[in-house]
Formats: sequence, C-alpha cells, structure tokens
Amino acid sequence: MKVLLLILKNLRRNKLRTTLTALAVIVMVVLCTEAATVLFWVHQHVHTQACQSKLLVSERWVAPSCIPTRYLALLTHQEGVEDWTLWNLYTGYLDTSRQSSRKGFGLATRPDNLIAMHLGLEKLDPAAVEALQREKTGAIVSADLMQQMNWKVGQQFTVLSSSHPHKDLRFKIVGVLPPGEYVRNFFFRQDYYEEGTGNKETITCVWLRLRDAETAQRVASRIQKQFQHSQPELKVETESAGVARFVSREQALLSVLKWVVAVLVLDMAIVLSNSISVATRERRVEMAVLKVLGFEPVVIMALVVGEAMLLGAVSGFVGAALAWLSSTLAVHGFLPSNPATRIFFSFPIQAAMVLWGALLGALVGFMGSIVPAWNAWQVKVSDVFAKIA
Amino acid sequence: MSAQPLIVVDNVAKEYMRGSERIVVLRDVNLEIAAADFVALIGPSGSGKTTLLNLIAGLDQPTSGRIWFDGLEISKLDEARLARWRTNAVGFVFQFFHLIPVLTAYENVELPLLLLNLTARRRREQVLMALDLVGLSHRLHHRPGQLSGGEQQRVGIARALVTDPKLIVADEPTGDLDHVKSGEILDLLQSLQQELQKTILLVTHDPAAAARARRVLRIDKGTLVEDRSMHSGRFRLFEWTVQ
Repeated sequence: MKVLLLILKNLRRNKLRTTLTALAVIVMVVLCTEAATVLFWVHQHVHTQACQSKLLVSERWVAPSCIPTRYLALLTHQEGVEDWTLWNLYTGYLDTSRQSSRKGFGLATRPDNLIAMHLGLEKLDPAAVEALQREKTGAIVSADLMQQMNWKVGQQFTVLSSSHPHKDLRFKIVGVLPPGEYVRNFFFRQDYYEEGTGNKETITCVWLRLRDAETAQRVASRIQKQFQHSQPELKVETESAGVARFVSREQALLSVLKWVVAVLVLDMAIVLSNSISVATRERRVEMAVLKVLGFEPVVIMALVVGEAMLLGAVSGFVGAALAWLSSTLAVHGFLPSNPATRIFFSFPIQAAMVLWGALLGALVGFMGSIVPAWNAWQVKVSDVFAKIA
Repeated sequence: MSAQPLIVVDNVAKEYMRGSERIVVLRDVNLEIAAADFVALIGPSGSGKTTLLNLIAGLDQPTSGRIWFDGLEISKLDEARLARWRTNAVGFVFQFFHLIPVLTAYENVELPLLLLNLTARRRREQVLMALDLVGLSHRLHHRPGQLSGGEQQRVGIARALVTDPKLIVADEPTGDLDHVKSGEILDLLQSLQQELQKTILLVTHDPAAAARARRVLRIDKGTLVEDRSMHSGRFRLFEWTVQ
C-alpha cells in the first residue's frame, strides 16, 4: 500500500510530463480501440460457427443478382435446411436532393424470422418485428439513417427509387435496427416490395440456415451442382465466406489497420518508455538512497514498472472509456452524424473494451518500463554517490 | 580496542577498472572498530575514505580481503542479502541529505521501516520517537523543500536511527551546512553515540568535525596512515600498511 502511495507521489512530481504522457497514451488507445473493434468484428464474422452454417445463394455472374423466384422452392426444400429468408434490394434517395449521402438501401425480406436469420439483429426489439408484421408499409431503419435524417419512430418517409425507376415507395418507421451490421439499410416486407414494385419474378438473394457447418458445405455443393447448367447459374457461399470475400477486397486496408494497431502499441510503449526513462534518470540518486536504506533491487525495479503500468492502465482505461463513450453517444444520436462518427455505427465499441483498454495500457506500460526498470536495477550505489561527490 | 570489536576489516583492497587502466583505491587495509565508538575517517580527496565507508557499510564489495560486522562476514553476502542486512544494521547520513522530495519528513523517516515486518502502530511509534530525538516533532508533515538544510539533515539522521541500527555512517554530514548548523548536527551525532551507544563512523574533511570523534583514522592514497585516539592522545602510524 505504501509502495503504491510512493508510486502515486512519484507520478505527481512532474505533473506536466505525466499529463502529456497520459494524453499521448489516451489518444493512441482511442485509435487502437476502434481499430481493434474493426479487426475483432471481421475475425468474429469470418470464424463464427453461425456464419459457417448459413448459406448465401445468389446469381453467379450478375451483380446485383436476380434469381428467378421459381428457384426458391428448390432451394428452401433442400435436405438439411432449417430456415430460410430472402432479400430483394431496393435502393433510392431519401429526399429530393438526390445526393449520394442521402441514399438508403432497403432490404425486402420475411418479417417472421427477421431476427433469427440475420446476424447482428439479436438486440432488435421484438416489438419492432411485431409492428412490421402488422404494418404492411412498415420499415425498421438503421440508427445511422434515423440520426442522419432526423427521423422518429412512427414517422413516414418516401424512397425515390434508383433501383426501380418510377416505383417510389412510402414507408412507416416501426423500429430502429441495433447499430453494427446495417448502417444505411432498412428492412421492409417482401409482400409490400412485390406489391409496390410489381416484381414477383426475381429475388436478389436467398439465405439458408443449416444445422451445422458440415451440412452447409454438403448442401452448398449440392446446390452448385444442381444449378451448374441452369440459366441463370447460382453461386453458393457460407456467410463467413461472404464476409471473407468482402474482407479479401478490403484486405489491404485491413493489413494497414493491423499495422496501425501494431505501430500504435509500439508508439505507446516508446512514449511511456521515454517518459519513465527520463523520470528514472532524474531519480537515480533517490534509487541509490532506497538501495542504501535496504530496498532490494527487485523492489526498485517494481517501483519503476509499477509507475509505468499504473500510468498506462489509467490512461488506457480513460482512452478506451472515451472511445466507448463517443461510440455510445454517436449511436444514440447525441453526436452529429459525419464520416468520423459514422464508423461507430458500423463498428460500435462494446463496454468490455474499456477493460481491454486498461489492460492494453498496463501491458504497454510494462513493455515500456523494461529498459528503465533494468537501468534502475543496475543502479550502483557507490557509483551514484561517487558522481555526486 | 575492545576484545570483541563490532567491525573487523581484514586485509581489504579495492580496485576499479577505468577502461584498461587499473585503479587501486584501497590497499591492505586492516582495522577494528569497537561498538559504541565514534570514529572519524579523514584524508584528502580521492584518498579512499568514502570507498572504505561504503565497504564497511555493505554498499560495495572488496576486491580482496574480508569484512566482519558483529561476527557476520558481510563481504560474502550477495546484493539482496546485503540490502536486508543494511536495513537493520546500518543507518546512513549523507552530505546532501538525500531525502525523497515528494515525501514528508514523517514518510521519509518511515521508509526503512516499510521493509521490516512491523505493524502500522509500531512504525508510527518508532518514527515519532526518531523525529523527537532529533528535535523535529513539530515538522512531521513538512516536505524536504519546506525545511532548512539543518532540519533536512536532522530528518536524515532520524531516518538513519529509526531502525535502531548498531552503526551509523555519516559521509560529510556537515559538508553542506553553515558553521552553526554543523555544530548542531555534530552535537546530535555525539549525543547519539553517548546516550544511545551507537557506533558512529564519520567521513569528513572538517578538522572541527573530526575533533568530535573519540578516534581519528587518516587515510592517504588508499592506505591507513594514522590512528589517533583523541581522548587518550594515543597516536599510531600504520607504516606497515604502506607498500
């Protein structure tokens, strides 16, 4: 306890230096937390079992794909299919400015199994789904769109369709999507899509949920084979493969992100190491005095490591807490929607990341204090006093 | 010299390497110091006084020779064991006080006690007693920066005393003080030796400070050349140590 008190008092010696070091770590932890959230999201989606047992069926050579509706029964009656849904993409402008930033991406689908068939909708309010089932023109809209358009639940909006010319549809907002997976999307009913656009012949894609990953692989190859020579030909991939495909397109960006995280961690370690090294150098005589008084080298070393880890942990905690707070405020509409805050809608930071930030800070503090702590360990009492004399 | 001396220095030599050059700081030093003695170690700069003090206090190891303290051969101990031994056996008083600036007088004196297995109450009792002995009971919560040089040195002495060591080593304890404050500090050291029966080993350049000691050792070029008992006027030359 007394040693901790001494560490705290040491940190208060040079308040400016401690504050600047802490600020540097805080900024880096904020960036690291968001970058790590993105990487974690990608990893989770590529590797989770749920994603490997779900199949996405689309047209092979055309984007956006157009699968004939008559295929639907053939696909959904495959042995091993436990549940299914479909998507029809309906895009358009959300106001008359027709700016690309005002574009929305509607997904016509089955409302009855909306939560079960869509990853990331686990936190969607079931009342919203019930409202969608009651209200034919209902739409469940992403939090980002709600904030950007300043919409409220119960309000109506019209989409000036770009995917279906002259088929503008009017919707009534019945719920808000949880942040994360769907940023500029809204879900609405397939029957309203068919009625509003008159398109009953094609669907954009079909989702099949299988018992397990092994069954998914088997069904995928069966469908591939079955539709190999049909017109149009189908492509089947697991949801994780779909994510992986997206990831492979963004691979360079993700690699850069990984490097950014690594560089940030290294940078934090250097900043902390520099600060602790200066402090250690300034306190060489005091360390020698502590040794003279009987403090063992390992205790002196622990004082240095403890100081760096405490500074790192507190700064990391504050940095991650700030990142989480910003993310939460952005998602709940307390921050203005702009490209900087929009990333929080796609990759909202979880509260658990605050603990992660503290641990990262402590780890970086440990890394940064190794050299100064070793120097402190090596302080030779007679040398220090000889230099003073 | 008592029959069972507190400190025995036997044929001790200390050498350093400066690049490829070998520097001999002490050579064949033999010495015995009785318990409760007040010994001053004098000599010109670079003569090896502080090196000898460091060896006796367990801050450094001799290149050759042996040192015993109260029957324990400290020249054999490793750094960690020496550190533990120092806490109980030796109190240090420095020329520049070397108090921890962020700690109060009370906390500075308490520092060595943190290494001992004492209750908070016992620690408090010992700290208050040590600060009372040096006349600083009214300055417990002042930081070093808020104390005069003389007061800082008193805190340093209280810190040296607080673990109740047998030996107090003081390296130029008055070197950074004016004449009046020096006198007060030397009075204090003298009273510790007389009233608490502490063994004092004082390194000094100051003849007035050396005159307070009961025994004066003079060192020159790494060799003890004079051993004088101040009260008996006994004087002895260590000619046999000169190479």
